[in-house]
Order: sequence, then structure tokens, then C-alpha cells
Amino acid sequence: VSDKRLERLADVLVGYSTKVRPGDRVSIETSTLGVPLAREVYRAVLEAGGHPETRITPPQLRELLFSEATDEQLDWLNPVALADVEHLDVRIVVEAFANTRAHSQVDPARHARRSRASGPILERILERAAAGELRWVLTLLPTTASAQEAEMSLAEYEDFVYAAGFLDRDDPVQEWETFAATLERLAGFLGARRTLRVIGADTDLTLDVGGRTWVPGSGGENFPDGEVFTGPVETSAEGTIRFSFPAIFGGREVDDVRLTFQGGKVVEVRAARGQAFLEEMLALDEGASRLGEFAFGMNDAVRQFTRNILFDEKLGGTVHLALGASYPESGGVNKSGLHWDMICDLREGSEVTADGEVVYRDGRFLPGVLD
Amino acid sequence: MSDPRVERLAELIVGYSLELGPGQLVRIEGSTVAEPLAAALYAAALRRGAHPYVDLAVEGLAEHLVAHGSDEQLAHVSPTEWNAVELLDALVVLWADENTRSFGQADPDRHQRYVAARRQVTNRFYERVAAGEARWCGTLMPTNGHAQDAEMSLADYERFVYDACHVSGDGDPAEHWEGLASSLAARAEQLDAVRELRVVGPDTDLMLVVEGRTWIAADGRLNMPDGEVFTSPVETATRGEIRFTFPAIFKGREVEDVRLRFEDGRVVASEASRGLSHLRAMLEMDDAASLLGEVAFGLNYEIDRFTRNILFDEKIGGTMHFALGSGFPEAGGRKQSGLHWDMICDLRADGEVYADGELIWRAGQFLADPQPASARVR
Repeated sequence: VSDKRLERLADVLVGYSTKVRPGDRVSIETSTLGVPLAREVYRAVLEAGGHPETRITPPQLRELLFSEATDEQLDWLNPVALADVEHLDVRIVVEAFANTRAHSQVDPARHARRSRASGPILERILERAAAGELRWVLTLLPTTASAQEAEMSLAEYEDFVYAAGFLDRDDPVQEWETFAATLERLAGFLGARRTLRVIGADTDLTLDVGGRTWVPGSGGENFPDGEVFTGPVETSAEGTIRFSFPAIFGGREVDDVRLTFQGGKVVEVRAARGQAFLEEMLALDEGASRLGEFAFGMNDAVRQFTRNILFDEKLGGTVHLALGASYPESGGVNKSGLHWDMICDLREGSEVTADGEVVYRDGRFLPGVLD
Repeated sequence: MSDPRVERLAELIVGYSLELGPGQLVRIEGSTVAEPLAAALYAAALRRGAHPYVDLAVEGLAEHLVAHGSDEQLAHVSPTEWNAVELLDALVVLWADENTRSFGQADPDRHQRYVAARRQVTNRFYERVAAGEARWCGTLMPTNGHAQDAEMSLADYERFVYDACHVSGDGDPAEHWEGLASSLAARAEQLDAVRELRVVGPDTDLMLVVEGRTWIAADGRLNMPDGEVFTSPVETATRGEIRFTFPAIFKGREVEDVRLRFEDGRVVASEASRGLSHLRAMLEMDDAASLLGEVAFGLNYEIDRFTRNILFDEKIGGTMHFALGSGFPEAGGRKQSGLHWDMICDLRADGEVYADGELIWRAGQFLADPQPASARVR
């Protein structure tokens, strides 16, 4: 039986997220597990008058590359793929995992080598996107691997994923447009504030965001979405924060992270598990111990932690901070090879003040802010 | 669970068929059902130092495009495709259909336009192959769709396919194909000296002139499996009659019990027990459609039955096939047509072939091992 929600997801990705127009060249990129959604997206692109092109690969190719390739093969960049990003108008990328931990045993150096090699493709995508020449969206098709990561059955996980995209509602596009307007207002409200202070369990952190831009994440590049983020002034963070959810990077988890900042820089690190890995990552480069992002998770249909950042960072009632690189569109200037999002649950016993005024309590903005 | 035959087939193709070397760019394309073979080829290509990438099509999408796309969408060919055919050093095409008749209800004109737009790209690639700039190999991944056409279970069909590729046993498949390649080459060289062939069988007595034409050994480089020697006969010389015992299939349509009579190279009479109108329509497609473009001996004796797939059927050991329409320039063929329709004639029971009057083949076997001209001179 076909899942109506899959059809709706495709329609939202094509009609709302990337707004495919007649003549647009659209790639649909996924693994063979993503085929059910690829079919629906292909149909929707065709209906919109675009030219859909699938890029479908077996999920095990990456493992094979890591196990078989020489350094020279790892360093190689496919000229066909590099040229591909030059002619596309839209990329729709569907994560569809067979095994979320398939690369856990891979030598990190080989991983890093491959990431460096494919850097130019990523750079061109971001450049063309910034120039308005390319629209892209990243989404996820529920698979048993992702359900396992979330500690749910596949059916429960599907319900979770589709609810997060409002695909269980009658008119998802209308819902997203309404939500986008709310996030836009919030971004405007926060854009007029200078200093934020986050107070919660073992947490009291102050940040300067004056002059920076708050960007609403309303389904354009991530789907589902629902956050408002900025790049805080790099030298401004002062105080301590405790992250109640595990911090995950490259498939490795660090539990109960506590960070203390002075002058914008992490000066003290504590973790219940994985502290050495955390310290190693913070020492990666100069920018790795400074903040590149501060954001409010605003999607109330995402209520639980599922070990996938696409969802976790949008959890309604949380804030997240990223150590490392900032997004240029937010006005942030921190540079790093790292961008590690860590999520802090503020749904109980918390407050956020903006320029001294309480604006957020127990996971919600106070009445007046969003209306 | 991985099938060792799939691994061996992958090794055979990257090693023997394509001779992939370090630094070469190779694309592995097929449909998503070909995933196990695509992944095995990817790993095997990496082990040879090449740079492989995989592009799998989703069955049903092209059908959807043909049914619902606008004229512009039907004609659109991705710039990425044009770019790729110029850059590739090698291409592996995996035929793997879950449904071999999925275009059965498609509008023929729209389907034709879809195919024609994409053929420009593949033709450009074949130009590069002909110029020696790139290599390609086509093979098949067994699916239920192909097994159904062959009227077999999938397990039996897998056995049939992997046996035909000689990857089932313990021996070295490449060694087998190298041996077959040299014997096919010797056979081709011997046939090059023949002026006229006469094929005699039930309701069959056909004379063909092959003088001045080149016989080519199909030895597993371009197709896997393989095993035939073929040429393009002199277009104006074929005379006599032939009866094809296997169904003749073109674009998924079957014509049964085809009988053709030739005079001065051209079909002058055609009969069939079923599908005669399709046969005659095809013969009238263009000027060269009623001439022979190919004559060939099927010499893969591990292919012992008709399975409704030309990749295998034309190589059935003990058969000959004759194609109406386009000839092969590399064999000396001079006529081109929109048609190239292979029809297979079973000569295994009581067929005879004479070369310049001398009996060289009986009941599906050449009478003597090939003696290349060079050896005979010596």
C-alpha cells in the first residue's frame, strides 16, 4: 500500500521547499532505500514542469570505498559529479540509511581524507546556493536503521517523521507558510536584541548577538525544519552550559557535556562519557572552541531526541549551540573544520532573557513575542 | 548473503572484458535491482585502481515520463549525460528488468521520441568506443522478469546465466574466455577465406556471399556472455529460403515460424504463423530493412535453450542467426537501416553449412577445429 504521507512529502519538497518551476533541472539524490520517495518526487517534479534526474547509489558504496580505496582513489573527485552541480537548478537530497553506524570502524583519517577530497563539490553547491542559482533541500526517508537509532519501531518512527513535517495534516503547505511567518516574526524580534542570557539547570550563559542576523529555518533547505539561528559574536560567550542530550559527532556520542566559556572561548570541559574525544575535537583548530551558532528549536511536533540532527536541533523548547564554523548568512565569522551542534533542553525550569527582559520560559516564548 | 558467482562475474568484466587500469573513469549503470552486481563491480574496479561510480535507474520512472511528460520533457537530455559520455574511459551496462514488458502499453510515437533523444548520447559514446577512446561491456543481472521471459524459476535462470558467463565453477573464468577468444579468432580468420556460404536445413536452403567481408569474433569483451562469429554478407547476393524455428522478437513483439525467400539479396516473400503483419511492416521500414545485415554462428554451447533475450539467444551453440536491416561497417557492411532484427535458426538437429561447396558444419558443430590461415600456410 502506498503511504499518502510520502506523496504529500514529495509535493511539499517540490512545491514549497524548492519551488520547482518549468524547465528547472532537478536532481533527486538518494540511496536505493530512498526509491519510494524518489518515485514520488520524480512524479511531482514532472508535474511542476521540471526535468527530474535521479542519482541513486547502493548504500554500501561508501563502505566499499573506505575498505578498498588507495589514498589516490580516496583523494579523487569525480569530474562528472563536479560538472553536475554546475548545471542543476535544484537538488533534492534524501537520506535513506541502511545502517547509521556502517562507518563507525573506519579510520577517522581516511574519513577526513575523503571529506577533504569532496570539499570542492560542497563549496560549489554552497556558492551557487548563496548566489541564488541553486536551491536545495535535505530530507529523510524513514528506514529501519533510523528507527533503530531513535529507539522506535519503523511505524512509530514514520509517524514521528511525518508529523514533524506536518504531513499528517490536511494542508501541509499552508501549515508551513503559517509557521514560516511565525519564525520570520521571531527572527525580527531577536534581531533587535543585543544580549541573550540562558538560565537553566547548571546553566547560566550570556551571549552577545547585536548586529548579527537571525535566520528562520522554515523548510527551505532542511525538511522538516523549524528553528531560528544566528552566529553569536565570537568573543562574547561567558558562563556555563550543561547539555542534557548526548552530543553526537561523526557517529560518536559524548554524554552530559558541560562547557564553560570566557571571552567567547571554551575554557573548561566536562563530560560523563567521551571527554577525550570532546577535547580532541575542540583542539581541532582555532575556531573549534568558539561558538558558530546559537539557535532556538521551534518545531513542537518534534518532542523527543532521535539521534539525528536534522530533527534534534528543531526540537521545540530547546536551544542548540554549535562549536566551530558559523553560517555566513547569519553574520557569524568563525571559521573551523568543525560544526558540532549540541542541544540543551529548556522545557523545564529555564528562562531566557533578552537585554534583561524575560522573553522565554520553560521552552516557550512568552505571549507577545510570536504574535 | 552474497553470491560468489556475482563476485566472479564482476571480476571477469573489470579484468577480462574491460581491462580496467589505474586512474580510469568507469560508470556502472543499470536499474536498482542490479544493486548487488553494481556494488560488486564497484569494489572490483576499485581493486584495479580505477575510479568507479554507480548510477542506478528506478524502474517505472521512464515509463511515467513517456506516459505523462510534456514534449519538452520527453526530448530533454541532461547536460550531465552529455558531459559524462565525453569523460568516461569505460562503461558497464547492467540489463536488469523487473518487468521486461513495462513499455507494452506506451504510446509508440512518444516512446520512440524518448528513445531517440537519448540515443544521440549513446551514439556519441559508441563513436568514442569505435575510435578506441573508451570501452564498454553489457551484461545481465538475473531478475524474475528475465526468468519469466525464459520460462524458468529465478534460481534456474541464475544458473543458466552464470553458466553461460562461465562463472559458476571453480576454474578461472578469464582463462576460459581467453581460450574461447583465440579459438573464435581462428574461426573468424578461417571464414575470411570463404567466398560463398550455403545453409541447408528443414525448409531452408540459403546461399550467401561473404567474399571480401570480415568475420568478427565476439569474445566477451563487449557482451558477457558472448560467443559468436559474425559478418555482414554482400547485400545483393543472398538467394533461397530460410525457416526460423525460434520466435523472432523485435521490440517485445513476437513473430512465430518466420519463413523468408530471398532473391538478389532482398526478401521477396515472407510468411509467419503469427505476427505476419508486424513482420511485413518491419520489412517495409526502409530500403535496407529487407536486406541481410548480418550472418553469424552461435558458438556458446553453455547456452542451450531459447530464453527470449537476444543477448543469450544469438549465442546459442549450434544455431545461426541472420539479421534483417543494418550491417556492421567494421565487417564490411554497406547498408544502414532503422532495423536490425536478429532471427535465430536452430541447426542443431539436422543443419548443414557448406563453404564454397565444402561441408564445414553439421548438426550444430563445425566439423574441424579452426585452422587459421597462418597455421595452414605453415
